[in-house]
Amino acid sequence: MTVCHLPAVDIPELWKTSFRMLLPHSGLSFSAFTTIMDCRHLVITITFLVFFTQAVVEATSWWSLAMNPLLIPEAYIIGAQPLCSQLAGLSQGQKKLCQLYQDHMQYIGEGAKTGIKECQYQFRNRRWNCSTVDNSSVFGRVMQIGSRETAFTYAISAAGVVNAVSRACREGELSSCGCSRAARPKDLPRDWLWGGCGDNLNYGYRFSKEFVDAREREKTYQKGSYESARLLMNLHNNEAGRRAVSDLAHVSCKCHGVSGSCSLKTCWLQLADFRKVGDALKEKYDSATVMKLNSRGKLVQVNNKFNSPTNNDLIYIDQSPDYCVSNESTGSLGTTGRLCNKTSEGMDGCELMCCGRGYDQYKAQVVERCHCKFHWCCYVKCKKCTKVVDQFVCK
Amino acid sequence: MWPGLPRTARLLRAFVLCVLLSHTAAYFGLTGREPLVFLPAPMSNEPPSGKAHLKQCEQLTLTRRQKRLCRREPGLAETLRESVRLSLLECRYQFRNERWNCSMDGRGSLLKRGFKETAFLLAISSAALSHALAKACSSGRMERCTCDDSPDLQHREAWQWGVCGDNLKYSTKFLKNFLGQKRASKDLRAQIDTHNINVGIRAVKSGLKTTCKCHGVSGSCAVRTCWKQLSPFHDTGRLLKYRYDSAVRVLSVTNAATGEAELTGSRRQGLGPRPTDLVYLEDSPSFCRPSRYSPGTGGRPCSKDTSCQSLCCGRGYNTALRHTALSCHCQVRWCCHVECQTCLREEEVYTCKQH
Repeated sequence: MTVCHLPAVDIPELWKTSFRMLLPHSGLSFSAFTTIMDCRHLVITITFLVFFTQAVVEATSWWSLAMNPLLIPEAYIIGAQPLCSQLAGLSQGQKKLCQLYQDHMQYIGEGAKTGIKECQYQFRNRRWNCSTVDNSSVFGRVMQIGSRETAFTYAISAAGVVNAVSRACREGELSSCGCSRAARPKDLPRDWLWGGCGDNLNYGYRFSKEFVDAREREKTYQKGSYESARLLMNLHNNEAGRRAVSDLAHVSCKCHGVSGSCSLKTCWLQLADFRKVGDALKEKYDSATVMKLNSRGKLVQVNNKFNSPTNNDLIYIDQSPDYCVSNESTGSLGTTGRLCNKTSEGMDGCELMCCGRGYDQYKAQVVERCHCKFHWCCYVKCKKCTKVVDQFVCK
Repeated sequence: MWPGLPRTARLLRAFVLCVLLSHTAAYFGLTGREPLVFLPAPMSNEPPSGKAHLKQCEQLTLTRRQKRLCRREPGLAETLRESVRLSLLECRYQFRNERWNCSMDGRGSLLKRGFKETAFLLAISSAALSHALAKACSSGRMERCTCDDSPDLQHREAWQWGVCGDNLKYSTKFLKNFLGQKRASKDLRAQIDTHNINVGIRAVKSGLKTTCKCHGVSGSCAVRTCWKQLSPFHDTGRLLKYRYDSAVRVLSVTNAATGEAELTGSRRQGLGPRPTDLVYLEDSPSFCRPSRYSPGTGGRPCSKDTSCQSLCCGRGYNTALRHTALSCHCQVRWCCHVECQTCLREEEVYTCKQH
């Protein structure tokens, strides 16, 4: 076997990263790898890796903006251009938008982070708990299955972006938008003032639509293929998420009459607390409808006797994979090692969470704050108490 | 049987077989190892004859002794069927919002294990049986018993006023004979089953209330007649459901003094289970997925705000619109019928998803 000496050319960065991603635990480096193989085998292996990598790279997403410690606004003042191309996970259209609206990127990242945190809160008691796997594809291969959980994730992240961008507009952080210019609602009592500085829901909605949907819109798939079904599903769910935010936005008022009385009131449009958006979307998740592709390439309901989904509802096309056991191909992490609640009958109870495998009992020391006291003026000082509690962990 | 064996070996085998068979549970089909059979109602175009009950006795799954008792008493077969129907309805009503909704599938496998649900099934069946027997006695459907004749109340007087107290004493005595419970059985499962059956019977006993009728001057209560009456079976069912919720898990230990095995709760719960507690051996499975114990919760109707969360086990629910026709705007016409209009109402019906 002749050892293959590669000339000292630039091995494409892509191949090196793909190699690292595929064999993370082997101690081999790329150069060591090349020295132990025959030349022919090397060419075949590299070709194989290149094709495989494409599929893996495809899985990255704009959610990665949430994971990387972003992007201080000042950086944009100094030679801003290179930053957009460095952001991993953006599609072509999104990169263009990034270059046009660079100051928005930080808020998109914050919005994605809010969305992910809310998703983890809503799913904290279930087998799949919206855990993030790595920094580039964020949720892993689980998002490649068009399940209910995927639908929820897309919706909540689109909602997070609307939230963050609208807030940023109101706070004056973005140059291209300002306070809300929404029309005065018709049912507002006549002597209340409409004004103040409301969250610019309109702008946030439109920007989120442009940015988040850019990835879906720039590709065209063959009519009737699985990818086209996923595209339609993602677009629908993004819209459902944005609508959840806009439907929950409400009028908020402040009294500023004589000595704080409500003789004079100013009202404006305010976004709801994001927890409420999360709760609303969780309800939509529970009542999501399963769809399939019909012969004309549109999504239709699988079972006609149930209500058809509106634009506010979530839809999905695949059954959820089994989240009980860890599976590389579906991306499920399994429930081994999850904490469960012994007394609960719901999804977080040890019977359902551990999928019948049983659980181990540990005694854990929990440190919490106690004996809190208010000192004048104006801070609260707490002591730390340790408590030994029983914890149950799935096998 | 067993050709080719020496005579002694054959005898020995036959003896062992007899011993084994005699120790198997001699329970009525309600409380036994066989699943419940919901018998069809007897065909009404048959001429009523005194022998009809014999055929019914044969149809039920009973042991030989129980069949003999059934044949002796003409009204018993009907009462047994009535009690089966009663216990089934009550069980389904009490568990309508739980994951295990007392459906007929899987009942056989459930009865083989020592779950909380088995305990409840035994208790409700025995309670229904004693309730139905007592009511049958007082309704005159049984030949060998009649109204309650306990000496402590003025039942003779009560009978004069057209009231017949429910004969629980006969019912309890008959049941003990019918179910044939052996007192000192070493088998843990038999002990638990006996305990649970007694819980059911006690629940019916505790529902016995004194009811009075006032028939004094112009309806005043100067003169009254009192008798004992069983509470409606719903109350007994509710009581047993409450017992089910607070059931105690047990294991058997041998009493060092008497050498007999007795039931004790786990160490943390102090003294053993009370005579009114339901006891069980093992933790139930979650009845979420179809298994041999239940058909699963897929397709169950639920209510969005309250029960869908727990019933559907996290799978979510489907929404369908249903048009129901109801009677509304009802008016009394003189004399004496009620005329109602029909209103169409649309409501959303939620059913748990299958997967």
